[in-house]
Amino acid sequence: MSGQRGQGDQRHALAGLRVVELSAGMAGPWIGRFMAWCGADVIKVESKKHPDVTRLYVPPREPDLGVQPTMSPWFTDWNAGKRFVALDLTRPAAVELARKLVATADVVVENYSAGVIDKLGLGYGELVKVKPDLVMIGSSGFGDSGPCRSHVTWGSNIEALSGLSSVSGFAGRECTITQYAYPDPLSAVHGLFAVMCALDHRRRTGQGQYINVSQFEATVAGFGQVMMEQLVDGRSPEKLGNRSPGAAPHGCYRCSGEDRWCAISVSTDLEWRALCTAIAQVELVADERFIDLNARLAHQDELDAIVESWTRERDAYDVMNALQAAGVAAGVVQNAEDLYRNDAQLAARSFFEQIPHPARGAVTATGVPLGLTGTPGRTSSTGSPVGHDTDHVFGELLGMSAAEIDRAVADGIIEKADK
Amino acid sequence: MTALAGRRVVELADEKGVYCGKLLADMGADVIKIEHPGGDSTRDAPPFVGDRPGSDRSLYFLYMNTSKRGVTLDISRPEGAELCRRLMRDADIVIETFEPGYLHGLGLGYEQLGADNPALVFTSITGFGQSGPQAHYKSSDLVAGALGGALHVTGESDDPPVRLAGSQSFMMASAYAATSSMIALYHAAATGHGQHVDISALETSTSVAHVCGVGKWLEDDIISRRFGTGLFASVPSGAYRCKDGLVYLMVNRPLHWKALAAWVNELTGNVEVLDPMFEGPSSSRQPYRDLLDIYITDLTSQLTVNEAYHEGQRRHIAFTPVNTSAGVAADEHLAARDYFVDVDHPTLGTLRYPGAPFRPRQTPWRISRSAPAAGEHNEEVLCDELGLTRERLGELAAQGVV
Repeated sequence: MSGQRGQGDQRHALAGLRVVELSAGMAGPWIGRFMAWCGADVIKVESKKHPDVTRLYVPPREPDLGVQPTMSPWFTDWNAGKRFVALDLTRPAAVELARKLVATADVVVENYSAGVIDKLGLGYGELVKVKPDLVMIGSSGFGDSGPCRSHVTWGSNIEALSGLSSVSGFAGRECTITQYAYPDPLSAVHGLFAVMCALDHRRRTGQGQYINVSQFEATVAGFGQVMMEQLVDGRSPEKLGNRSPGAAPHGCYRCSGEDRWCAISVSTDLEWRALCTAIAQVELVADERFIDLNARLAHQDELDAIVESWTRERDAYDVMNALQAAGVAAGVVQNAEDLYRNDAQLAARSFFEQIPHPARGAVTATGVPLGLTGTPGRTSSTGSPVGHDTDHVFGELLGMSAAEIDRAVADGIIEKADK
Repeated sequence: MTALAGRRVVELADEKGVYCGKLLADMGADVIKIEHPGGDSTRDAPPFVGDRPGSDRSLYFLYMNTSKRGVTLDISRPEGAELCRRLMRDADIVIETFEPGYLHGLGLGYEQLGADNPALVFTSITGFGQSGPQAHYKSSDLVAGALGGALHVTGESDDPPVRLAGSQSFMMASAYAATSSMIALYHAAATGHGQHVDISALETSTSVAHVCGVGKWLEDDIISRRFGTGLFASVPSGAYRCKDGLVYLMVNRPLHWKALAAWVNELTGNVEVLDPMFEGPSSSRQPYRDLLDIYITDLTSQLTVNEAYHEGQRRHIAFTPVNTSAGVAADEHLAARDYFVDVDHPTLGTLRYPGAPFRPRQTPWRISRSAPAAGEHNEEVLCDELGLTRERLGELAAQGVV
């Protein structure tokens, strides 16, 4: 039973910690992904009846391969480094196995729709009976109470619902949306923070607890400084686009080439003088229109035109490097290809991770930016097939014999592993 | 009881790290915010309470510094650095956002402090990280979001790239920093070994936007870019016009599409929408996005936002309002969960704040006090706790050290 507990490799920050994950999509699984990277033993419990969307992936460049449950880049980004078992949780015997598994664990992560986990008999009230100091986190769009708790949402819904999409963006645009479903990563990172706080409390008091995350609430807190204007004074915040009340020029400036831009931020007079020198227009330093921050803020349109007349004939990286050399904050608006091929800093810090993959040899994934220099993390493997760790988890951790496991598989309680 | 009761944090942070301190403070840690004598420049960041400028009236500062204690020290002076070192020696976590190497030059770097306090977690948050060819490049929230790939994929396709409101690149750098600090603290509590946590806003921004980043591009050769209000991979998706505003819709699952098509058919009499060629995953609808948007707008334009939202959700379709800030402030679901909290401020009265980003049931998130005035806790921290005499504090104040 749980033979490896407490003997984890101390070179990893979360060595010895076990996490059971009952979740799909991103906001829940990302918590487990980060914990696995830090050395925790993360066991993801899946169901073939309700496969994670990322398990239904057809590789776009090899569509003839059909559905490939381990090849999705999102499956890697959200699930790499975990162990995988599959249970039919509509069966009482499977629920019992899940409870036994939780009894060996420290943390449970779940993000089913509100109420589902309780109906399955795996709510905190049940699980705390088998693991009294359990730390459990449940995450959903609206949280576990309130009139809208059962509503269907995706990350982008929350972006709009939270008000973030209407306070962001250029004036005249009613709804500004990201392509990366921002509330998902936001909620996951906040959720992991809350789990770690609860584990610190547990270490000192012996007491576990349940944590509820409403992605709606986490997102509003994430731009709370903007919401304060509404909450304190009843004023709608001004849409600033890329502008800032504390800096000018401050924006994305067009560079040479198709859809190429460089972001530039100038806060202080010193930086302003550096910019004027870098763009060879030192006469602007004495120009009354731009003499200090307030003057520059009052003449932003003229300022933007001057800056862009310099950037638009130049390569975006040349603009960034010339301005940074002069001491001005500047950065290329990078796309995915740039991040991989052109970003010297990410490359020097080996940010992207090469992870061993059973079918492809290795895949490249976005790194985990936790910066733990004393206990650097690593990802041991990409996500494995459904049920890959059945023998290890039910045999070694729960002490079931091979015959018992076979019988549970034959009965459909443990779902059969994919190849 | 709070989760982090008894944990001590010293914060020397600008916009990159101030939310990291808030996350720890609202969970119960004793966060000592060290500012320059006279106070941090963000105390003057607009907008202001009542739209009237004034120190301590900055809504940004008031939000970001809840539950902290405030101490002023000029750490560039030896006496200030020594007091800072003594505070850090007793801390569990230090949060700092200076240029790499700056604190080391003052004798306050990780190597120097770690010798005093081996279990110390020392968290640095910078634009580019502590190492690498660009470690000394200057950053800003906008620059970090640009480099990390977030701006390239935000907003309308024919607009310039644009950032989210509220400095989200730095907010997330702070959120990762708080998380990583707690992971390092977990390790320190188990082993006695602290460590230097090196957070790069470039890397955290890249991580946040990863869904349309490198892994995806390596697989499909498609460079994601701005795509309006919809998501490229989800058909249909986006903001749709109702009688009185916009409603947001996402369809990813085959069942959700069927439910939506049935509703469009019921309300508009459209028969084409039921065509089986539109059924299945989003990929089967990808060639028909514009046509389906017309069908859906025929539906939503007959409804108010609330009708689309509530009836849509009753049909298990992911419709949600595109809320204004006023809509969020008045939201009935948030009200039912008592989300917003009122915080008393000694001179500004009661201020309403966004509430808990997460709800630990045994050790609730809370705001224990409003943001401190500059140096409000100098005497309490430097005299009562560090043992400085009041005379000495007076001398240091006269010299501009505190």
